[in-house]
Amino acid sequence: MKAIWTVARKELVDLFRDRKTMMLGLLLGPIVMPAIILGMGALAEKKMRTQLESTLELPVIGAEHAPNLVAFLKGRNIEAQPAPADPEQAVRDQDFDVVLKIGEEYGEQWRDSKPAVVELIYDSSRQDSQIPVNRVRGVLVEYSRTVGVLRGINRGVSPEAGFAVQVGQRDVATPEARRGMLLAFLPYLLILFSFLGGAALVIDVTAGERERQSLEPLLATPAARAAIMSGKILAACLFGMLSLLLIVLAFKFSFQLAPGPLQLIDVSVPVMAQLLLVLLPMVLIGTTLLTLIAASVKSVKEAQSYMSVLMFLPIVPTIMLMVNPVKNQLWQFAVPFLAQNQMILKLVRSEAIALQEWAVYLGAGFGLGLVLWLLAARLYHKERLAISA
Amino acid sequence: MIRLHDLHKSFKAKTGPVHAVKGVGFEARDGEIVGLLGPNGAGKTTTLRMLYTLMSPDRGRIEVDGIDVAKDPTAVRQRLGVLPDARGVYKRLTARENIEYFGRLHGIDEATIAARIAQMARTLVMEDFLDRRTEGFSQGQRTKTAIARALVHDPRNVILDEPTNGLDVMTTRGLRGFLRGLRDEGRCVIFSSHIMQEVAALCDRIVVIAHGEVRAVGTPDELREQTGLPDLEDVFVRLADLEGEAAMGARA
Repeated sequence: MKAIWTVARKELVDLFRDRKTMMLGLLLGPIVMPAIILGMGALAEKKMRTQLESTLELPVIGAEHAPNLVAFLKGRNIEAQPAPADPEQAVRDQDFDVVLKIGEEYGEQWRDSKPAVVELIYDSSRQDSQIPVNRVRGVLVEYSRTVGVLRGINRGVSPEAGFAVQVGQRDVATPEARRGMLLAFLPYLLILFSFLGGAALVIDVTAGERERQSLEPLLATPAARAAIMSGKILAACLFGMLSLLLIVLAFKFSFQLAPGPLQLIDVSVPVMAQLLLVLLPMVLIGTTLLTLIAASVKSVKEAQSYMSVLMFLPIVPTIMLMVNPVKNQLWQFAVPFLAQNQMILKLVRSEAIALQEWAVYLGAGFGLGLVLWLLAARLYHKERLAISA
Repeated sequence: MIRLHDLHKSFKAKTGPVHAVKGVGFEARDGEIVGLLGPNGAGKTTTLRMLYTLMSPDRGRIEVDGIDVAKDPTAVRQRLGVLPDARGVYKRLTARENIEYFGRLHGIDEATIAARIAQMARTLVMEDFLDRRTEGFSQGQRTKTAIARALVHDPRNVILDEPTNGLDVMTTRGLRGFLRGLRDEGRCVIFSSHIMQEVAALCDRIVVIAHGEVRAVGTPDELREQTGLPDLEDVFVRLADLEGEAAMGARA
């Protein structure tokens, strides 16, 4: 077992002497991560504030038919604007988020106390237009109800008679959970960085060593092949953990500095320690899986071409959950990537993680890592591996 | 003491199996330098790779100091010092660190490693570059580092695959002196080459290999006698049947 440590130490010395690769591998994540969190946080925050609080400029068609409505909108900080000639095209071209159309018969319907028709023209597939559309719709509903109530009173009808059902709403999302919604992208980033953090090193110490033809003399020493391979995996795991630690630290500091609601994410030391523990199996799985790949391909180039597929893996559960949200169930904590995703979301949303869930999660994660490790060790006994030319 | 008996090895290729080694067998005794001589692609490297346990033969037996390679490869690797065709010196480590790394993998303690390095650095004249990183080393410096690394555990049997490849005259001479020193210490030395003069200048016995088969075994004088040719290069060309091949090539 001394051989494992000898190999691991040599690989780490070798890597740390390659300053540029080491810096890139170690620091890129911790620098990019806060940039994304702070940048996106600030952007989202700014956008929301402007869309919610600033005066909304609303193109109105046929404003002259409903001067009262236009005045009411103005009182709610929505300024009527002359409408473009082709409103539908203008919305499609994203010149405007939403256009209000007041029909010619509006005045007549209004006087007859019939529902006066107004139309909102918007594009529901545009995330960006959600807030202005909701603002306009809310104000229109408010206006409709106010006028309806006044009409009822005029005719001696109780305003309450107009509401057959009153819907009360109680949102059970914790404040943390609502903030968590902003963070759907976070698990992916964290999983990706821990999954492939040591990738450069792993590919270099297996496929790279073979390509440089230094594996042959190494395998001619009495050290067991499994020990040599384990040493290499150990080195990559240690490096991956170091890079993970830096990422978690960067994560902690960027949320402490982040603006607005993001600042309230719990980044206390115990939570960060749990996050580290959650990501640890990912480091092991990533390292062993890459070793397995790098040991079975012919060249560094071939190993690297697997990277794009591997980078896609951690995002699969995020996409699946987006399309088909499922309830937390115990089996999910045994599925790689999905499990990490769920665990990180739980941590970010300040939800309690049951002991049972931890047990299943860590058991499955480290178990899979171990299986991959043994598979890679078997591969190292193959004759083909040592022969480079 | 190394014994190879009737080794066979073939590889899969797109055009069908390639029979690289077919029935190679010879013996290398302690206190003797045996030269493995053959043209490129004769099966020298494959034979040596089977000897140092990197590949297992399809058929045949190898014994090192009486130990069967197939039965106890680890014990065999402990008794072998191997300089493979590919030197594979780590360029970001110094020469000393390269040697230390292999010393540790052989399970030797630090004090012994240090003493061995000092001793080999003297004999191989590598003191002035011992603590430099090997990136940018000359071919000779790299080979010396690789040889020192291969011999750090003081093995009884030494296998060198084309050790003089790419070395200048003086380095080659120095290396020959070093190999004779190993022989005089009673070690068994096998080295491969495709240059007759190289082998003749150094070896006690020569094994001529061509097309994966042993064509002749003997001292340089015995081989001269056998072929009736005075010039060693002619002897080699005749024994390895290179003329016939060249003629075939010319006709084809």
